[in-house]
Amino acid sequence: MAEKKDNLSTKRVHPGVEKMQKSLAEGKCSRREFLRTTTLLGISATAAYGLASSILGKDILPDLISTAHAAQKKGGVLKFGMVVQEMADPATYSWTEKSIVARNIVEYLVETGPDNITRPNLATSWEASDDLKTWTFHLRKGVKWSNGDDFGADDVVFNFTRWLDPKTGSSNLGLFNAMLEETGEKDAKGNPKKRMIKNAVQKVDAHTVQLNLKSAVLSIPENLYNYPTAIVHRNFEKEGGDLSKNPVGTGPYTLSEFKVGEIAVLKKRNEPYWGGEAFLDEIRFIDLGSDAGAYLAAIASKQVDALYELDLSTVSSAKNIPGIKVLSIATCQTGVIRMKVTKKPFDDVRIRKAVQKCCDAKRQLDIAHQGEGILGEHVHVASIHPEYFKLPEFKQDIAGAKKLLAEAGYPDGIELTCNVGNTDGTWQQNSVAVLKEDCAKAGINIKMNVMPSAQYWDVWTKAPLSLTAWTHRPLGVMVLSLSLRAGVPWNESSYNNPAFDKALDEAEASFDVEERRAKMEKVEKILQDDAIMVQPFFRSIFTAISDKVVGFEMHPTRYFRFHKMSLK
Amino acid sequence: MVQLLFKRIGFMIFTMIVVSIILFLLLETGLTGDPATRVLGNFASDEQKESWRDQHGYNQPVVIRYAKWLGNFATGNLGTSIRYKGPVKDVLLPRLWNTAILGFWTFAIMIPLSLILGVLSGMKEGSLLDRTISVFGILTTSVPEFASAVFFSALFVFGLKWLPGTSSMAGGFEFKQLILPAMVLVVYDFGYVARMTRASMAEVMQSQYVRSAVLKGLPYRQVIIRHALRNALIAPFTVIMLQINWLLSGVIVVEFFFAYKGFGALLLEASLNNDIALLEACAMVAVVVAVGSQTIADIGYTFLNPRIRFT
Repeated sequence: MAEKKDNLSTKRVHPGVEKMQKSLAEGKCSRREFLRTTTLLGISATAAYGLASSILGKDILPDLISTAHAAQKKGGVLKFGMVVQEMADPATYSWTEKSIVARNIVEYLVETGPDNITRPNLATSWEASDDLKTWTFHLRKGVKWSNGDDFGADDVVFNFTRWLDPKTGSSNLGLFNAMLEETGEKDAKGNPKKRMIKNAVQKVDAHTVQLNLKSAVLSIPENLYNYPTAIVHRNFEKEGGDLSKNPVGTGPYTLSEFKVGEIAVLKKRNEPYWGGEAFLDEIRFIDLGSDAGAYLAAIASKQVDALYELDLSTVSSAKNIPGIKVLSIATCQTGVIRMKVTKKPFDDVRIRKAVQKCCDAKRQLDIAHQGEGILGEHVHVASIHPEYFKLPEFKQDIAGAKKLLAEAGYPDGIELTCNVGNTDGTWQQNSVAVLKEDCAKAGINIKMNVMPSAQYWDVWTKAPLSLTAWTHRPLGVMVLSLSLRAGVPWNESSYNNPAFDKALDEAEASFDVEERRAKMEKVEKILQDDAIMVQPFFRSIFTAISDKVVGFEMHPTRYFRFHKMSLK
Repeated sequence: MVQLLFKRIGFMIFTMIVVSIILFLLLETGLTGDPATRVLGNFASDEQKESWRDQHGYNQPVVIRYAKWLGNFATGNLGTSIRYKGPVKDVLLPRLWNTAILGFWTFAIMIPLSLILGVLSGMKEGSLLDRTISVFGILTTSVPEFASAVFFSALFVFGLKWLPGTSSMAGGFEFKQLILPAMVLVVYDFGYVARMTRASMAEVMQSQYVRSAVLKGLPYRQVIIRHALRNALIAPFTVIMLQINWLLSGVIVVEFFFAYKGFGALLLEASLNNDIALLEACAMVAVVVAVGSQTIADIGYTFLNPRIRFT
């Protein structure tokens, strides 16, 4: 491991770490929560595991991280089946697939593993002030860009400045909202225009960067592993602003061939990689279109060694093919059937509640996703999120729905249209179909409008009612911050509740898991009362790899780490 | 003859202009959504969109825009693809070439196969051979490509493990990868052409000159080769030319299923992703091929059949 064991005695340690140690010793928080929170607060993962071991008096091994394979073979070409999309600008990526190729060229300050623990990467360590408003990142020394330049604070400052400029069009605006201020002007839609607060990101020295936030945020490190936050070279824009044409990076690989819709080929860089040995000589991303069957056929006939995704519809067939392993993992990926609160009839909370009350979550999961996943309570926070506050089970209530509908002035029922783009598979369409059946019992007639996925992304923030697939994020507060804060770009339901924003701010400011969970109670209850979505389940995800692939770790967001993989 | 040629070419140009107007109205005028949003994406600010419209002349009157667009098109400037982030021409030409390869092999197998079977079956109408070929031909033609594609890959990829499951040619051209897509196309199409050949052959076999040839004592083989075949193959020629047209839509399903990087898959991807310029170019190519192959068929027909002469 390249990661050095940090000396806890010489570094400034966040008081939250001590609190967490106490919680763990008293059994108030789980080992997993301890590891996650302490690493978020700047303790290295190794040190966190060490602390946990000493407190619990037994050796805690990283449970989900497969330990380094001592005998991994060097060399070879890995063929990976995945749609190859354009990947010009990492800051504006809106598809994980784009980052899957790019992340081998440009890298992130941190890395969140399959166990949801965040570890150092281009940043070696970080500290937060007690109020969680000032974050200091210490950057790795001796890292070189592929053009020979030294990696340093200037690069990081450039990236933050770029993300937080609304002209860039990056979704990172929502993640780092605490670094933005309103300009006082309004845009054409009446939303306040925002800009980066002066000195929100500061270079302390050549390898230290400080972030100054206007409000406390706990998940800054985890936000830095969200897929559009890869760090590009400080001259990225000057040199054309296109990673696929000018692939300058700090990562172990460089781009040697790139054809959108066909193929992307990565070759191992000649210079030694700062992160240790990368095993594979070459990674070939082969575009097999958007037919799930083609991916299964390709891995069955050994044309590819691993897949980006195994569609739910092909899982059972894949399990029967010899030489192939099917991998799955529980995630917070979900389909949110959101109602736009600014559009009729959803400006009336009674209508929204009536739709919600019709939903039978268990039936949804069983029919739409073959029972593979976990149930939700229409608040977009999952039980595998550390700060999840357990709400009482949400029960279907058709009579209640009818009553609300009558109160809202629709005693004879109501007609609704729901858009669904099947952007992540036909389970989305099935989920709407189940809701349609259940809603019909209360006199709510939902017309399904199934559209091609690309067309869906044209209107996803516009339609009154539609199902949008949301990807996994390791913390519940991250999801809510991106999707439901007033005015953020991805707020597809136009939700605007200052009380919610305030409660979310407070939850984001608590590093103690118990404290944060207590605050999430308010957040989740406001959400459930405002009834802005039907969100019945979180789904498991799958992929398939050939038996000859070694070191492939399933990841809830499919942020696969190719430099750890090798071939038998 | 020259007159026919000019008439035909004039008609071709007329059709293309009509299609181009429809295309332009559908894709470039905001009838089906704002082009600026399509190109720049949903996060683009209003200022960004406005400056894009300005830069790309979207604020000019529709007629002027259409004239410019047509001029660009005619001179080979097909615009820039959003999805592929590059000139449409660079994406389209290799894809067309790939489809031409697939089409060539499909035809190279399908034409001799269907002609031979059609002639054999038309020679003796109602014979066991005729019945067998006819039933088999109807059977394969009535199974759509998406069904036979699933069937063949279940058999040859998952069952017997003889053939690769996809045809992306990611490691360079490999003939093995061409077999399944070509097989699906051949199986679907040969029955139709064979049936047409059979009908034409059967008709010729009933004609008086064939009867005379038989009666005057010519060997049966010579009757078929010298007298029947030449006349019987005129009708299938037109049908085969029409198959070029069919192939352009047939390949969409097959290329999608086998991940073959051809024109059909490109057309599908362009339409699914609202890639305006690419979609326009694909549609125009399809029109050129359709009208072009028909013109060639008509002209070729006059050569083959001396009774049809346009003077």
